Amino acid sequence: MRKGLIQATDGFERIVHWSLALSCIALCITGLGMMYQSLNFIGDMMGGLKSLKYVHNFTGVFFGVALYFTIRMWWKEAGIFSMPEDLEWIRCAGGYLWHVDKVPETGKYNPGQKMFFLAVAGFGAIMFLTGLMMWFPLSFPAMIVRLMYVLHALGFVVIFAFFFVHLYLGTIGSPGSLDAMLTGWVSRAWLKKQHPKWLKEMEEHGTLVVYGEEKTAAKGHGH
Amino acid sequence: MEKELIKLIDTTKCTACRGCQVACKQWNEMPGLKTKQWGSYQNPPDLQWNTWTLIRFQEYVSDKGAFKWLFRKDGCMHCTDAACVKVCPSGALHHTEFGTVGLNSSRCIGCKECVSACPFDIPRYNRETDKIYKCDLCYNRLRGDESPSCVKSCPTGALTIGRKDAMTKKAYARAKELGGDANVYGDKFVGGTHVLYVLDEKAKVYDNLPRDPSVPFSIIVWKDMLKPLALLAAGGVLAGSFLHYILHGPKLPDEPGPNEPGKEEKGGE
Repeated sequence: MRKGLIQATDGFERIVHWSLALSCIALCITGLGMMYQSLNFIGDMMGGLKSLKYVHNFTGVFFGVALYFTIRMWWKEAGIFSMPEDLEWIRCAGGYLWHVDKVPETGKYNPGQKMFFLAVAGFGAIMFLTGLMMWFPLSFPAMIVRLMYVLHALGFVVIFAFFFVHLYLGTIGSPGSLDAMLTGWVSRAWLKKQHPKWLKEMEEHGTLVVYGEEKTAAKGHGH
Repeated sequence: MEKELIKLIDTTKCTACRGCQVACKQWNEMPGLKTKQWGSYQNPPDLQWNTWTLIRFQEYVSDKGAFKWLFRKDGCMHCTDAACVKVCPSGALHHTEFGTVGLNSSRCIGCKECVSACPFDIPRYNRETDKIYKCDLCYNRLRGDESPSCVKSCPTGALTIGRKDAMTKKAYARAKELGGDANVYGDKFVGGTHVLYVLDEKAKVYDNLPRDPSVPFSIIVWKDMLKPLALLAAGGVLAGSFLHYILHGPKLPDEPGPNEPGKEEKGGE
C-alpha cells in the first residue's frame, strides 16, 4: 500500500464478492459440463460427470449463501436508482459507448453497475431457487420442473453474458477498478473519474479513509 | 435408417398373461420387489425402476353399456424425436442403430431430467444406485439378431417386431381388419415411435396414454433456443468488449494515478 490511496471497499465486501464470484465461475464451468455433451470432459477432472453434478449442486448452496450476503450488503447502495441523475447517465450510456461532453456524476455505484447488481441479484435468486427444485425434481409436478429448467437456462444466458461484461469493465476496460476488489485501496484520480459524487460525499461526511493519514473514521456496512 | 425396427403391440390379441413382464425381468436381471394388493390384477401398480414393462388392466364400459377388459402393455415408446435424449446431459440416453432409445447406464448421472421430460412418463429413478432405468428394447438381443425378450415370450402374437415399413403396414392392415374404433397409435407424433399400438378403442379411452404426446415446448425452448443463445450472447459480449477496447478505448482517470506511468512529479506522494 502507498500513501494517498483511498479505501473503496472493506474486507467483508471483498470476501463476499469473491465468494459469490468464484462460486459463480465454478457453477458456470460445471454447468457447461452438463449443458453441452461436448464439454462432458470437464467432469473427468472431478472423477466423472456424476461427481461434477454434486460439485455443481453443493457449490450452488454456497452461492445461495454468498448471494444472500451480497444482496443484504449492497442493496441500499446498488439496488436503488437515484433519479433523475441515473436516468441521465443511462441516456448517455455513462459515456462508455460514444463521446459525451459531460457525464452525470455518479456515487459509489453508477447505474450500469446497479443494473448489473440487480441482474445478478434477480437472476442469481432465480438460479438458486430453480436449481434447488431441479435437484429434487420428483418432489414437484413435471410441468413445474420443466419450467424450472427453462428459467435456469435463461438465467445462465443472462449471467454468462453479463459475466464477460463485468470481467472486461473490471479489468482492462477500466484500469484501476480491479484494485477496489483486490486490495480495496484505489487512487484518488480513479475515484475522481469513476465515482466523483461518492468522493465528495465521503469528504463532506469525513468518512474518507486515506492510507497513511491518521483519521480512521468508522466505516462499513454495520455487519 | 435401414435397420430401423418397430415393435408392434396388438392390444386386441393380448390376454394379459404377463409373460412379457416376467421375461423382461428375467432377461434384464431385474429383481422383484414387495408389492401390495390394491384391488387390481395390475401388478405392480405402476412402472418401477425394476419393472420396465407392465400390463395395464382397465375395466371399460362402452357407450352401449358393454363391459370389457382393456389390456395395454406399457413401456418405453422409443420415440424418434425423443425428449429424454434431448435433455440427457451425458449421452446416457441415445438413439441406437435400430432407431430405438438405448440407455448406457454407466453414463447416467441421476439428474432425472428425462423423468420430467418424457411425455409418456416412462423413466424411473432408483435412489440407491442414483440412476434412471427404462426399457431399451433388449438392445443386446437386437444386436444378436434376436427379438426382445417380451416379444419372444408372447404366446398370442400380440407382440411382434420387424422392419419399420413392414410393421407400419401390418399395423394399419390389422386396424382396418378390426374396423370400428380400432386405430394405430404411435406413428403420427414425436417423429414416429418405434413401438406401435393397435388399439381396439380410441386412444383417449386408455388410462395413462397421452392422446397427442409431443416433446414439451419448454424443452424445445430450453434445448433448441436458450442453449445456443447462451454461447451467442457470451460470444457477442466478448466481441463487443474487444471492439470497445480498440475503438472507444478504456476509461482512464484524467490524471495518472500513483500506479500508472505519467507525470513523475505527482508520483510517490
